[in-house]
Amino acid sequence: MTAVIEARGLTKQFGKVDAVADVTFSVQEHSICGLLGRNGAGKSTLMRLITGQEFSSAGEVDVFGRSPVEDAAVLARTCFVRESQIYPDSFRGKHVLRAAAHLFPNWDADYAARLVDEFRVPLNRRMKKMSRGQRSAVGVIVGLAARAELTLLDEPYAGLDAVARDLFYDHLLADYSANPRTIILSTHLIDEAARLLDHVIVVDGGRVLIDADADSLRGTAVTLVGGHAAVERFVEGKDVLGWEAIGGIASVTLTGLSDAERADAVAAGLELAPVSLQQLIVSRTRNTTQEVRS
Amino acid sequence: MDDGRPIFLQIAEQLESQIIDGSMREETQVPSINDLAAFHRINPATALKGVTLLVDAGILYKRRGIGMFVAQGARDRLVAARTEAFQDTYVRPLVAQARALGISPEQLTAMIRKEAEQ
Amino acid sequence: MTTYAVPTMGRRVASTVRVHLSNPWALLYTPALITLGVFGLNFAIWHIVLFAAGDNPLEPDAFDYNGGGSWVMFYLVVVAVQAMNQTFSFTVGLGSTRRDYYLGTSLIFVMLSVVFGVGLALLAGVERLTDGWGVGGRFFAPSVLQTIPVWELAMMYTLAMLLLTFVGAACGATFVRWAATGLIVFLGSLLVLAVAIVFLIVWGGWWQPIADFFSARTPWEIALLSLPITLIAGLGGFALLRRATPKG
Repeated sequence: MTAVIEARGLTKQFGKVDAVADVTFSVQEHSICGLLGRNGAGKSTLMRLITGQEFSSAGEVDVFGRSPVEDAAVLARTCFVRESQIYPDSFRGKHVLRAAAHLFPNWDADYAARLVDEFRVPLNRRMKKMSRGQRSAVGVIVGLAARAELTLLDEPYAGLDAVARDLFYDHLLADYSANPRTIILSTHLIDEAARLLDHVIVVDGGRVLIDADADSLRGTAVTLVGGHAAVERFVEGKDVLGWEAIGGIASVTLTGLSDAERADAVAAGLELAPVSLQQLIVSRTRNTTQEVRS
Repeated sequence: MDDGRPIFLQIAEQLESQIIDGSMREETQVPSINDLAAFHRINPATALKGVTLLVDAGILYKRRGIGMFVAQGARDRLVAARTEAFQDTYVRPLVAQARALGISPEQLTAMIRKEAEQ
Repeated sequence: MTTYAVPTMGRRVASTVRVHLSNPWALLYTPALITLGVFGLNFAIWHIVLFAAGDNPLEPDAFDYNGGGSWVMFYLVVVAVQAMNQTFSFTVGLGSTRRDYYLGTSLIFVMLSVVFGVGLALLAGVERLTDGWGVGGRFFAPSVLQTIPVWELAMMYTLAMLLLTFVGAACGATFVRWAATGLIVFLGSLLVLAVAIVFLIVWGGWWQPIADFFSARTPWEIALLSLPITLIAGLGGFALLRRATPKG
């Protein structure tokens, strides 16, 4: 499997602040990779570094085997769409699509037209007069119809209503199945997108906290609920992510429990509950002292 | 679809359940990977993993150029496997709960018999 | 997966030009229409004044100093600055390289300067032939430039617009690269430099020779002198943009 993106010790500083600090990871071809983390964690900066739009302070990143900075051969195969995209004041929706057709060699105009209908984008309206949802829709349409081998979507559905978000997931999946490409999706709406992902990279404070296969990550964490004493006894010496208590009951989130240990927990009268990817990541990013690679 | 467990396992289990309850008969075609992925809104690679699991277990087989089919004897195999796991999956929690409530084994057996005879 | 050949540099630069022209109104139609509109307004005003004057004769060069047609040049400066600010962030944000963007944008500046330069000069020619639209009005070539042949006028307008767009773009690029503080520092330094040069000239007594030099030059030659400045602005703009990060 070829790695489409390879980052080694990638660092970006703004003044004294490390927006991205010593980041190393790789993304395989045709992976749908989630770049997750809190606001300000460094996701957008990372995506800008990957597309050569930001200059690194240290370290390097290779895209399709080369540095993406000012490399037209690499960038022609890439499409980066984000909510904060700047549009020229005079541009209306139709002008943006026209410009995209010029910039992306693989642009599919018919597909774009169908998407415009489904997302109900008012093409004749100026970009700055569109609602947040409509602007997001335009971005999503560009990202989908560009059919770029490497597509990066930064919070692509900020402002999209639930119906439009479902449309987006459906179209993303359908087009990915028909025309496989490598997709990096950054979001803080983890649960919704979680099932689409096959790889997960969690960033926090500019560092990589988790870099794992999504399926292996699922099920690594579990919540145990039971009487205070029983729970305390059980979790001694174990990897605790979160702890909540009310009355005489405690709820503990743990990782790294083997099947045998889980059976023990049940036998001890504790209740086991699954932990979703979102809950796992939220717990992890609340206690940022731990780093996990699996 | 439960987000706390590997999804490919859940896909496999769902297909197994459909085979057991008869809604997917032997020698009939199973939905394609892309259809499964689109329906459950999951990554096609994950759907593939789930299906591959069943292929490796001899529950499904592939007909080149056509798709995945339910194998002969799949239902029997699945029923046998689930019956074996029945004790761990259902009986153990039942007994643990009964114990917690103070229900004796005799009472439990009577309850089971009553339910089964309905 | 569809693989495709990477577009050649020529095609990429052409693509940038097309991106700029995706909305032809901003660059071409709107300034053209406004120019004609303002002209129409002036034309109407001339006739109103004539009508009001009735039989009283007006001064022979009453409508001579208008030159309103040259407003387009300053509109192009705004276009240039916006090109650095917005279109740069848009185009590079979507995946163009800075080099391709700057080459395409420079080409657009040249195209616009030629189109408007030649256009204005041709209209000035018509103005001359019709003796100021029949009322002695000079909109497209004010008094000083009336004796210059049309083709020379076209070159002068084009060179002037080239100067304005590239200098405007260089200022825009300074802003994009170093933000407001940077621009202020840059312009401030230019001002200091200008004052220093003037001081040196006056102190060294070179004022007279320099004044003589310029007064001996034709307007055409002075226009040509702008080329080196345009070139420096063009190269400087690229040097700044090469390390700029698109906004958004």
